[in-house]
Amino acid sequence: MRLPAAVNSLLLRSSGVLIFLILWETAPRLAWVDPYFVPPLSIVVREIWLLLETGDLSRHLLVSSWRAVTGLSLALVVALPLGIILGRWLTGLASALEPLLRLLSQINPFAMLPLFLLFFGIGETAKVAVVTWVTLWPILFYTIIATRTVDPLQIKSAAALGVSRSEMLCKVILPAAVPTIFIGIRIGASLTFFILIAAEMLGAGSGLGWLVHNSAMNYLIPRIYAGATFIVLLGFLLNRLLLYIEASLSIWQGSQSGSPVAGQSRASSWRPDRGSAVAGTAILVLVLILGALEVRRLNQEALAGASSSSSHAKHFGTPADSSDGGL
Amino acid sequence: MAGVVDVPQQIQTDAKIVVKAITSVFHLKKTRTEPAREFIALKEINLEVKKGEFLVLVGPSGCGKSTLLDILTGLAQPTSGAVYIDGNKVTGPALDRGIVLQGYALFPWRTVRQNVEFGLEIKKVPKRERRAISDNFIHLVGLDGFADRFPHELSGGMKQRVAIARALAYDPEVLLMDEPFAAVDAQTRESLQDELLRIWEATGKTILFVTHSIEEAVFLGDRVAVLTPNPGTLREIVKIDLPRPRHNSDTRSSAEFGWIRRKIWELLQNAPHESRHHLNAVPVAEAISPTASL
Repeated sequence: MRLPAAVNSLLLRSSGVLIFLILWETAPRLAWVDPYFVPPLSIVVREIWLLLETGDLSRHLLVSSWRAVTGLSLALVVALPLGIILGRWLTGLASALEPLLRLLSQINPFAMLPLFLLFFGIGETAKVAVVTWVTLWPILFYTIIATRTVDPLQIKSAAALGVSRSEMLCKVILPAAVPTIFIGIRIGASLTFFILIAAEMLGAGSGLGWLVHNSAMNYLIPRIYAGATFIVLLGFLLNRLLLYIEASLSIWQGSQSGSPVAGQSRASSWRPDRGSAVAGTAILVLVLILGALEVRRLNQEALAGASSSSSHAKHFGTPADSSDGGL
Repeated sequence: MAGVVDVPQQIQTDAKIVVKAITSVFHLKKTRTEPAREFIALKEINLEVKKGEFLVLVGPSGCGKSTLLDILTGLAQPTSGAVYIDGNKVTGPALDRGIVLQGYALFPWRTVRQNVEFGLEIKKVPKRERRAISDNFIHLVGLDGFADRFPHELSGGMKQRVAIARALAYDPEVLLMDEPFAAVDAQTRESLQDELLRIWEATGKTILFVTHSIEEAVFLGDRVAVLTPNPGTLREIVKIDLPRPRHNSDTRSSAEFGWIRRKIWELLQNAPHESRHHLNAVPVAEAISPTASL
């Protein structure tokens, strides 16, 4: 039994990971650790395979990805314009609001979770809202900083041509700010899964967090590890995808070559272009659409199966009210 | 503003640029050591630049030459007085003036070609024409083959050539240059100076060039306007009669060159006595340059 090739190549990229995996397999087998609590890798892999076969894993994967990407997108929609306005035009307001914003961003999202559940119920809104809340702050702060610190000389040389406000924004401020804004987006994205998994554990009927929590409630220990593995993978993949989009949007930064010698050919090195940025974004949009359909289907199923036990709940052998098991 | 004499929107003149009684006053805020006060960056500057002329403004830092250039660009408003281009009052930035700044100020996310085409995009020139024009100007500054490079792949001298091509590409009649060669090494600087004279002769633009280097001023200019600080006043305009075309190799070694350089140096040394008292206030003028907040 083998992992799919793509996953395999990702896992085996570094030898550290490889050693870790070997230890994971051998330590329980040699009884260095209790194999009941730490099942060897092969058992976890078989569990993953089982979950994949029934299609349950891909469903949870899709649902979790959808929640993460939706939350991230909403945070972008709110934080980017707000950050540009505060960083560029309403700088007075920005400095007045800054202590408040810093304070809000320091609120522990885990503490906010029950509140979100209280306000929005255990539906999708609460989970997406908490992800949005967490990712909003780094994106907002980095956008403010990025737009505030655009080189004044660049602004001056554009202003000297009498450019309009929108031209200044689209042709100077945004391109100059993109690399810094992306740092914020990636910090936000890495926080996304932490909070999403927690939210799914506290109140959900699907998603990787629910899978792990549900398995724990039912002492299905290999399944916990299978779910956790996929949570790690998902976070890793999202970060990779963002890095890829970022690299293709900021080819001009040339960080790879230490001494740029004029006239020397650099054609050999691969340069991501706008096309790959579009491709990366398309993947995210695809997750949004497919995930939305899946979530809608699941929620309808949950409604229909409110009287009888729902199909996947039955599969895991859990009580029908497992959806709010953590509360 | 109350108390300011009305200036006409248009004047009759043959000169390309007319600077008329420009005064620029900054209001310095109170600091821990000093009370609030007024700082006169420019005082009653009058200047005329003929069409196709190469005029150099020279003066020590803090004499208000950058402020004057900002006013010419339209990025700053004088406290009183006005600037006219072709007899029309300057009210804001526009595409009839090209600007080259000290720190290149290229857009690092744009290739050489895209940088050169920036002004053309603002001018809404169709894409195909843009390409022909940018090809032409990239060739003019000697950067053929570098059109698709990004600024970080270029040397300092090359970046400044791109900045010059960018300022020329949208065909302004006046080129305003603010210490453009201050950041490059001595050798590159001399070759850029030769290059600039060649481009000037080829395009026939009116150039107003700001520098603090007396040598550069004498070598480049038809006339050199000497500014002295505190307050920034136009001390004298020196006509440079050195024959053209000039080349760094022989022009600089001529006796006449040395003589003019000496004369300007003396003009700068014998600044009016009052300026000595305020020497420590000099950096303030730089710090409050109106474009610093842009």
